[in-house]
Amino acid sequence: MIEDDLRAAFVRHEPLTPSTGPLRASIDRLAATRRRRRQRFQAAGVTLALLAALGVGVPQLRPDRPVDGPSLSGQPAGTPSEALNVLLLGVDGFGEQPSYRLADSVLLVHIPADRSRPYLISLPRDLGVSIPGRGVDKLNSAFFTGAGEPRPDLDAGYDLTRRVVADLTGVRVDAGAVLTFAGLRRITDAVDGVQVCLPKEVESWHTRRTFPAGCQRLDGAASVDLLRQRRDLPDGAFDRDRNAQRYVAGLIRAVSAKDVLSNPVRLAGLLSAPGKGLAVDDDGLPLTRLVAVLPEMDSVDPVGLSLPVGEPVDDRTLLPLDPKLGKAFLAALAEDRLAQWVAQHPERVNPVR
Amino acid sequence: MTYEEFADTRLAPLLRYAVMLTGDPHQAQDLVQETMVRVQLNWRRVARADSPERYVRRMLTNQYVDWRRGSWVRRVLLRGEPDASVPALTDHAQSAVDRDQIWSWLSRLPRRQRAALVLRYYEDLPDMEIADILGCAVGTVRSSISRALATLRAEYVEA
Repeated sequence: MIEDDLRAAFVRHEPLTPSTGPLRASIDRLAATRRRRRQRFQAAGVTLALLAALGVGVPQLRPDRPVDGPSLSGQPAGTPSEALNVLLLGVDGFGEQPSYRLADSVLLVHIPADRSRPYLISLPRDLGVSIPGRGVDKLNSAFFTGAGEPRPDLDAGYDLTRRVVADLTGVRVDAGAVLTFAGLRRITDAVDGVQVCLPKEVESWHTRRTFPAGCQRLDGAASVDLLRQRRDLPDGAFDRDRNAQRYVAGLIRAVSAKDVLSNPVRLAGLLSAPGKGLAVDDDGLPLTRLVAVLPEMDSVDPVGLSLPVGEPVDDRTLLPLDPKLGKAFLAALAEDRLAQWVAQHPERVNPVR
Repeated sequence: MTYEEFADTRLAPLLRYAVMLTGDPHQAQDLVQETMVRVQLNWRRVARADSPERYVRRMLTNQYVDWRRGSWVRRVLLRGEPDASVPALTDHAQSAVDRDQIWSWLSRLPRRQRAALVLRYYEDLPDMEIADILGCAVGTVRSSISRALATLRAEYVEA
């Protein structure tokens, strides 16, 4: 009988089972590593990496006295610098433990070596990319694939997305952060709201709230509401990406205006605001170096851009890279000459205020 | 119960179970490793379950069934050090494996079906418990087992 054959086959293969000693040791090792990572991600201090990397509050941060090299950065301040790339992921999912998460806003913040001004580059969530362990799929599913379900792990989702973005763009990702709805709400409220300037009226599909054209100050809940809108926008996810850029531009202005980075009390308040809704990666770039880099920036007014993409082919919903512009754009990004690219393609700039 | 106590007694049976699921000692190690790391990090939640053992078995089974969506296969590729802990098959065992067509047929079954077979014919669990582990109805367990058996029988006829 086949059932008996099955039982016999299972028993016969028991000797394949490896010994548990080495396995147990590697479990302990891996668990210890992840526990450390988790603690690091929860440390409020690294939130500064996000704000600092955005070029937030730059003029205000300029110290009265020159920074003491070794104490802050380990290297003299004002060393000729490299371009920096910071990956910001906005993920969906409500509650403390949603069963899955997708990264619907993928924003690469590029800070050029000349420290002229930040560039906010939206990578379309429907872009077809090669995802390790999944194959070719939409960019927003990289986070889902890495984070897993039913208990998504923000760190793992970030790690895989970072890998995919680095492969796609060819640039090194120096730091990054994952922002949940809750984190977005809290960080917005911590700066007493963010001014967002919309070119056209937006009506919320979720709450029916109307966001009029023009500049308006949004609190945390309203910011989340606005940044979730995609369906009723004429250009769908692209318009949502543009709104995300407008929000980030406003967040930068809000933090700059409040002298947050130069005021220890305000800074402490802001850093603890996002709580568990924010995971920050400062692996590639020590926080102290970012801080040392800040006073070098000329302007905090960002340039909003999107990775140029083409039309979907063969009925699929995956968007390909724009055959002509896409490569040129990525080359300009990798070679840190976005200013030149923007001058050649002014129509590609998304007004953020 | 502490995590240490749990691992003392349950790690070996879980590893055997994983070998039956994956059919491969290396994959079994990775599967158990990934599951047990999560178990250790979330031990308080695991210990609160009525039966931590069943809870962990469910975690491991889900991890196995969802491998496409999950990430443990990625770790197979990333695993660095080769390990000496996997016993080499003796010639005798190897020839047994060669004869063992049913084992290779098993590897072609959908994962959920294979899991159901292992739970019934290796772990000897009642269908109720299998349904609990797989997170489906008892009827679904029975139909996946009968489909799996039908597939295997068809292989027998062809072979």
